[in-house]
Amino acid sequence: MRITAGVIATIGLYSVLWKENKFYRFFEHVFLGLAAGWTMVALWTETLKANWWDKMVGTPAETGAAATNGMFAYALLIPFGLMGYFVFSKKHNWISRIPIGIILGLWSGQQVQVWWNTYGPQIDATLKPILPTTWDSLIVPSTNGLTPEQLSQVQSQIYFSQAVNNFLFTLTVVSVLSYFLFSFEVKSKAVKGINTMGRYLLMIGFGAIFGSTVMMRFTLLIDRMHFIWIEWLRDGVFPMISGR
Amino acid sequence: MKGNLGEKLQSLPKPILYLILILATSIPLFFPTEVPNEPVESTKDFYATLMALPEGSKVLLMSDWTGSTRGESKGAFRSIFKILIRRKAKVAIYSAADPQAPRVAQDAINELNMERKRKNLPTFDRWNDWVNIGYFPNAEAAINGIANDLKGAFGGRKDFPPNSPPRDVFQSPVLQGVTKVEDFPLMLVITASKTSNFAVERVSGRTPLAFAVTGVMVPETQVFYQSKQIVGYCGGLKGVYDLEQLMESGVNFPDKATAKIKSDKLGTIEGFPDPDNKGQGTRYYPTLHYALALMIIMIILGNVGMFLAKRGDKS
Repeated sequence: MRITAGVIATIGLYSVLWKENKFYRFFEHVFLGLAAGWTMVALWTETLKANWWDKMVGTPAETGAAATNGMFAYALLIPFGLMGYFVFSKKHNWISRIPIGIILGLWSGQQVQVWWNTYGPQIDATLKPILPTTWDSLIVPSTNGLTPEQLSQVQSQIYFSQAVNNFLFTLTVVSVLSYFLFSFEVKSKAVKGINTMGRYLLMIGFGAIFGSTVMMRFTLLIDRMHFIWIEWLRDGVFPMISGR
Repeated sequence: MKGNLGEKLQSLPKPILYLILILATSIPLFFPTEVPNEPVESTKDFYATLMALPEGSKVLLMSDWTGSTRGESKGAFRSIFKILIRRKAKVAIYSAADPQAPRVAQDAINELNMERKRKNLPTFDRWNDWVNIGYFPNAEAAINGIANDLKGAFGGRKDFPPNSPPRDVFQSPVLQGVTKVEDFPLMLVITASKTSNFAVERVSGRTPLAFAVTGVMVPETQVFYQSKQIVGYCGGLKGVYDLEQLMESGVNFPDKATAKIKSDKLGTIEGFPDPDNKGQGTRYYPTLHYALALMIIMIILGNVGMFLAKRGDKS
């Protein structure tokens, strides 16, 4: 029954591909209603109760855990939270800016560390050697049967093929960055050329992102088709009809 | 549909196109085939990281996927858990992207346990082997809290011991002795949203990170992998297919000369052949190729149509 209900809902939601219809609307509303209801309950049971209510009123002793005293200071969060709802009032909406401002302030204060954590290692990884350190081989030699010492020797070298890769990588970074030079007018032909190359490389990157997106969407469709044809029809309905 | 061939090709009715797409994504499912594949380095590293976990390790897992990305994320989740169960890991699960995510993760583990029961294998028990810490709204603030004050962030959260009322998660064998995020030798993120970025921002450098992301997130996740902010990742359906093959064959296993999957960077990592390793990745990946081939054909037809229509206009 559960799977059959899922199949009917899936067909209902996909029916919009044919045209807008009441069958689709019904399941859209069912889905939204379920999601909203679930979220409200989850917010209480999984967040507000554990992180706020129990801390405010305290908890009784239970197996392996002592009782905790309530801290009524947590009640002060109520008016503070309610201030956010003044965003709907034309006259008093300035009140809502107080909690929003504090949250923004807390968030902004953390961004220096966040920025460095995110981009510091990436900037570091961008600085790659573009000159080979050995000409013993043009490409990275096979490491089959090498001792750990020989392996680390191979890995410590920059071979010609790696240097070419690194050069292309660096060229891509520089040309894409140059595309975003908006502070002054670019007159040099060389910079303009690099700038144009940056634009094309960006487009290639966007193409790759779009390709990944399409693959993901197709996978979601394949999963739904598997659900309908295999999980429901082949493994559910057919065995039931044939009495297996 | 009036007009010349070019115009006709450009204005194929959408319902017909959708019908063709549905056929292309349905029929191959009934005829399983093998697609030749070489796992990518990021997934090999991901697998190597999981297999290198000492038995009994405690792993923090942020599970941020729901039914909307079941096609990719569930396959990754199941494969990861098969490996974690094999490593006898203890897993603390929480979610920060969607209130439905903890329940979805719980259902996926229950499904795995039912399969294990049918095969008379020991189950992966809630409370003793894994705990569901629940959902945390505001992912960025939640991850920041977990990174800086794990006891405070998870404090007060309860889960269900067997046949017993809910108890504080820190009493479970999974979180005993854990006081900070560094106490986990690995943090896994299975996500279909931006929460992986928050994990890099707040947790990187404190404990190794490994991600399982959806296909659309692969380009941004590759950046984190190349700059060594994460130790490996499993990206999209291709990642799931790679992971299933790695579970089956290992890396450089049994030896480099005869191994199906080789790596110069990694040592020998054993696989564990089992028909159950072939899951969602193996089932969906060949079908994806039919869908992509159809799209390529449609793009070519559309362009040919445009070319013919332009030529018709000129003449």
